[in-house]
Amino acid sequence: HSPLYNLLYSAWLSLVPSFSAMPSYKLTYFPVRARAEVARQLFYLAGVPFEDVRVPHADWPALKPKTPFGQMPLLEVDGKPLPQSYAINRYLAKEFGFAGKSPFEAAWVDAIADQFKDYNIELRPLFLVLMGFAQGDKDQLLKDVGIPARDKFFGILEKLAKDNGNNGHFVGSSLTWADLLIADHVKTVSIHLPSFLDGFPTVLDTVKKIESTPKLKEWIEKRPDTKF
Amino acid sequence: LLTTMPSYKLSYFPGRGLGEVSRQLFHLSDTPFEDHRVPMDEWPAYKDSTPFGQMPVLFVDGKPLPQSFAIARFLADQFGFAGKTPFEAAWVDALADQYKDYFAEIRPFLFVVFGFGEGDKEKLKKKVAEPAINKFFGILEKRAKDNGSNGHLVGNSLTWIDLQVSDHIGVLELYLPNAISAYPLVNEIRKKTTTDPKLKEWLDKRPVTPF
Repeated sequence: HSPLYNLLYSAWLSLVPSFSAMPSYKLTYFPVRARAEVARQLFYLAGVPFEDVRVPHADWPALKPKTPFGQMPLLEVDGKPLPQSYAINRYLAKEFGFAGKSPFEAAWVDAIADQFKDYNIELRPLFLVLMGFAQGDKDQLLKDVGIPARDKFFGILEKLAKDNGNNGHFVGSSLTWADLLIADHVKTVSIHLPSFLDGFPTVLDTVKKIESTPKLKEWIEKRPDTKF
Repeated sequence: LLTTMPSYKLSYFPGRGLGEVSRQLFHLSDTPFEDHRVPMDEWPAYKDSTPFGQMPVLFVDGKPLPQSFAIARFLADQFGFAGKTPFEAAWVDALADQYKDYFAEIRPFLFVVFGFGEGDKEKLKKKVAEPAINKFFGILEKRAKDNGSNGHLVGNSLTWIDLQVSDHIGVLELYLPNAISAYPLVNEIRKKTTTDPKLKEWLDKRPVTPF
């Protein structure tokens, strides 16, 4: 080619938007949904490839000291580690557009997630017995722990869903990671305590709508089936 | 086009607790806000007007936002104390959530020393406080080193996790003198944070409360 051709070609190349290479992502967790499922769903919803590493319990002690906080899940972005499930969820949600449409909306997503975290802490003694991780009186725990925690948190969610116009989201008008967090929990509850959330019809309706999101439906149908 | 600054109100109990980091962010950024302190006896009447029946609540142009970390992160984002990149912001979040987990572990000890309940202080100190502190502050000390021992937990500027940890150390030291003597880099972070001129201004004039 002539020098002029080469010059014009180089000039054209410099005007073409440069495609920055997508980072490589790796998510490491136990072979369950629990604290990694929302992150997995965010990758799938965004159509972003990631390495979905599932560590059998027996292999965890050897891996533990290599992690920043001795815990999982762990996200690695181009090899750089990031611990703590909500930090991971929020980071990916922001990158992929599932963190609310304004800073105030994003803050409300955070608030719902943190309230859910508080609820989970209250529920924990019942959860441990239900999952077979501890001994205990299921019915007593349900009465003393499960029902009060449920009524407080799901009362809040029921009102949020209603105030938001029963539009299929707990905040705003687009899918957020708070929607995914709640929907996955409702799925787990439905496996172990079938009628537990019957008193919260707007929440259940919202979760149905969330789960009918096409790409999410696809993921749910093909993911490994786990009881939590 | 002049965008007017929103009006801010922060409602919380008269102590530092879960509201102090947000108050500090307002003072650090010279942002005016109504520092609304609700005495314990007025709380029952106020409770039902809050989104989650809890405080703190931030009001931005009258619109409420609950949950202390959601509030702190929102303000930190607005005012420039949330890290300089998305990945840095995520690390601030990760450390904050690790702090939250740690606080849940040490709570039984703090509950008793704050005077909210009965308990064996010495036993709780050995069985609850010391293991929790060693685990969490061990993580922080390593984090401070990996971050270049520069007086910050993340990046090279003040973030809200520096504020949270520094405030908590102040609480710990009231009940466990020399609580962090084994964590010199963390102590450096606390020193650098609390001697920030704008923050020091607030620390010197704020109401004094035990927690």
